[in-house]
Amino acid sequence: MKKIALAVSAAFAACALGAAPALAQEKTITIAGFGAKTGPVRSFGVNSEAAMLAAADVINKSGGVKLADGSKAKIAIQFYDDRCTAEEGISVARRIYGTEALVAVGPTCSNVAEPLFGVLQKKVGDSSDSGLQMPIFTDVAVKVGLAKISEWAFRNVPNEMTMYSSLFYWLRTKHPELKTVYGGVEEDFAHSRASWHAIMKDRAQANNFQVVGESKWLLADTNFATQAREMKKANPDIVAIAAHPVSMCGALKEMARQGVKPKVLVGLTSSSSLETLKGCAKQAQGMIIPTSFAPVTKEGKFAAETTAKFKGAADLHSMAAWENVFILKDVMEAEKISGDKSKVAEDRRKVRDGLAKLRETKGLLGVTKRTEDREADKPYLFVTAKGNNWVVLHNPLQ
Amino acid sequence: MLDFIQATSDGVLFGATYALIGIGFTLVFGVMHKLNLAYGAASIGAAYAGLLILGAFWAEAPAWIVFLGAFLAGGLIGWLVYVTCFHFIPSASALATLMATVGMLLLIDEIVVHATDGLPLNYPALFSDVMLHLGDYYLRGDLLLVFTLSVLCMVGLLALLYRTRLGLATRAVAQQPIAAQLCGIRVARVNAMTFVITGLLGGLAGAMIGASVGALSPLLTTPLTIKGLIVTVIGGLGSIPGAIVAGLLVGGFESVFQQFRGVTERDLYVMLLLFVFLFFRPGGIFAAKGGRD
Repeated sequence: MKKIALAVSAAFAACALGAAPALAQEKTITIAGFGAKTGPVRSFGVNSEAAMLAAADVINKSGGVKLADGSKAKIAIQFYDDRCTAEEGISVARRIYGTEALVAVGPTCSNVAEPLFGVLQKKVGDSSDSGLQMPIFTDVAVKVGLAKISEWAFRNVPNEMTMYSSLFYWLRTKHPELKTVYGGVEEDFAHSRASWHAIMKDRAQANNFQVVGESKWLLADTNFATQAREMKKANPDIVAIAAHPVSMCGALKEMARQGVKPKVLVGLTSSSSLETLKGCAKQAQGMIIPTSFAPVTKEGKFAAETTAKFKGAADLHSMAAWENVFILKDVMEAEKISGDKSKVAEDRRKVRDGLAKLRETKGLLGVTKRTEDREADKPYLFVTAKGNNWVVLHNPLQ
Repeated sequence: MLDFIQATSDGVLFGATYALIGIGFTLVFGVMHKLNLAYGAASIGAAYAGLLILGAFWAEAPAWIVFLGAFLAGGLIGWLVYVTCFHFIPSASALATLMATVGMLLLIDEIVVHATDGLPLNYPALFSDVMLHLGDYYLRGDLLLVFTLSVLCMVGLLALLYRTRLGLATRAVAQQPIAAQLCGIRVARVNAMTFVITGLLGGLAGAMIGASVGALSPLLTTPLTIKGLIVTVIGGLGSIPGAIVAGLLVGGFESVFQQFRGVTERDLYVMLLLFVFLFFRPGGIFAAKGGRD
C-alpha cells in the first residue's frame, strides 16, 4: 500500500515538474474591453472587440509584451457588454476592477463614458477619494471633453472641434458660393446632440456660414416628414446631420422624397461607416464626413484586413481600439510592469502614469498628439460616400 | 394653416399602422381578457422574418412579395406566441401570461438584434417616389398605400368577425367562454385562430411601418408597443372600431404636436392625451358593452 502511494505521488510530482516550465512560460497580461454588444449600436462593440483581438493576436505572434523581469507575456483580451447604458457600464467597470485586467478599453457610448468617468478617482493619489483606480482608455465615446473628469480617464478619439472647424473652413474656401447651413440633430443621443449644438453649429458660424435653422428628432423616430418640410422651407446650401445611421437614413430618405436637395451634405463622424452605406447608400451619396481613419496607409490596410479576419469592420472607432492595444503594449514595456497577479494595483498605476506621460503616439493615419487633458489630437481626412464605399475626398493636413 | 393640415394628414395616414397594432392588442384582450405585450415586437419580428427568409432565396424580391412574407410570418409568430405564452398557462393566471409575453417581447428583440447585428435593414416600399401635389400640399404615395391596405385589413377583419362562422365563434368566446364551450365551440382553437389573425395583421403592420420608414430597426419595437397600448386604451379595451379611430387619432395628434411643439415635447403631449382619456373617459372612445360574467 505504501509502495503504491509512493509510486502515485512520484507520478504526480513528475507531471507537475514536467508542466512547470510550460506554465512558467505562459504569462498573460489581461486588457479588458467593454462596449455595446447588444442594442441598436451593437456594431460598434462588435467591431471594437474584433479590432482588439486582432491587435492582440499580432502582438502575441511577435512574442507578446516584455515585462520588468525580461520575460514576455501574452495579451489576453476580455470583452464585456455594457449595452450602451450607464448603469450597465458602471457595473461592468466595477466587475473589471475586480479582475486582474490592468486597463479597460471602452466604452462605446458617451452616455456611458460620462457617468463612468465620474466613478473613477478624480485625482490620482487622493486618499479621500474612494473612486475606482483603474485606467480607462476610450476608443469610441467621442462627446467632447470627457477625459478631464478623472485623471484615470484617457481617450484616443478624434477631436471633433478641430475636424469640423477644418471642414467648414475648407467648405468656405472651396465653395464660396455656399452661405447657409441647416442642422438635423438626433436629440436623445449624447454624442450627436453635443456634436451639433456645441461643435457643428459653432464651427459653421465661426466660418461665416449662417445657420438658418435646425430640426430635431429622436433615435427611434419613424416619421421625419415635419423635419424634412422645415428643411425644405429653409432651402439651405448645406445640411449638416448630427445623427447616427439608424435615424440619419430615415431622415435622408424623407428628404429625398420631399425633394430637399442641399448643395452639400455633412454628416456625423460616427456615420462614416458600413452601417450608413448598408442603410441608405443612395441617399447618402456625396455626404462629406471628417474621419480619423481610412485605409490609405500600409498600416491602416493591414489593420483593416486583420480585423476583418476576426469578423469586424474597420472604421474610425474600431481602429482606435486597435491603436489602443498597441499603445498600451508600448506603455507597459516602457513602465516595466511586473505582470505579477499580486501586484495588479501597482501595475495599473504604472499604466496610468505611462499613458499620462505620452506626448504623442503612432496612429494608423500618422502621429497622434496627446493633450494635457488626456485627449488625442488625431490626424484626419474628409471622406465622401461614393457608390458603396467611403472614399477620401480631401486630406486637410497635406 | 397649411402646416397644420399637412401634419394632420401625414399623421392620420401613418396612424393607420397604429390602428392595426391597436386592433391586435384589443382583439386578444376582447377574446381572452389578457394583454399580449409581445405583439409590437412580433409585428416587427414578422417584418424582419419575411425580409430575411425571402432574402436568403430571392435577392431582389418585389416589395409586395416581401409584404406577403411579413404577413404570413406574422401569422406563424402569432401562433407561436399563443402556444408558448397562453396555451399552457392556466387561464386564471393573468399575471403569468403577462410576464410570459414580456419575456417573449425581449426574446424577439434579442433574436432580431443578433440575427442582424443590430444594423438597420433596407425595407422595400411601393410608390415611395410618388407624391401627389395639390399646390403646396402633398400626399405621400407610400403612406396612401399604407392607409389603403390598413383600411382593407380592418374591413376584412370586421367582415370575418361578423360574416363568418369563425367570427361568430370568436364573438361567442369573447362574450361567454363557458357557454361557448357548452355549445360545442372549441375555445382553444378559437383562441389560437385569434392569435393567428392578429399575427397576420401585425405582420402587415410591421411591413407597412418598415416600408414607410424605408428601413427596419430593432429600435422600432418599444415605441410601437407603447403606441399600441395607448391606442388600445383610448379606443376602449376590446373595441375594434375604437382601436381604428384611436389609431388615426393618435397618429394625427402625434404629428401635430411634433409640428408645433417639437420632437422633445411630442411624446409628452401624447401621454397627456392618454391621461385625459383615462380621466374623462376611462373606458375609451367605444367602451365595451357588458362583458363576461
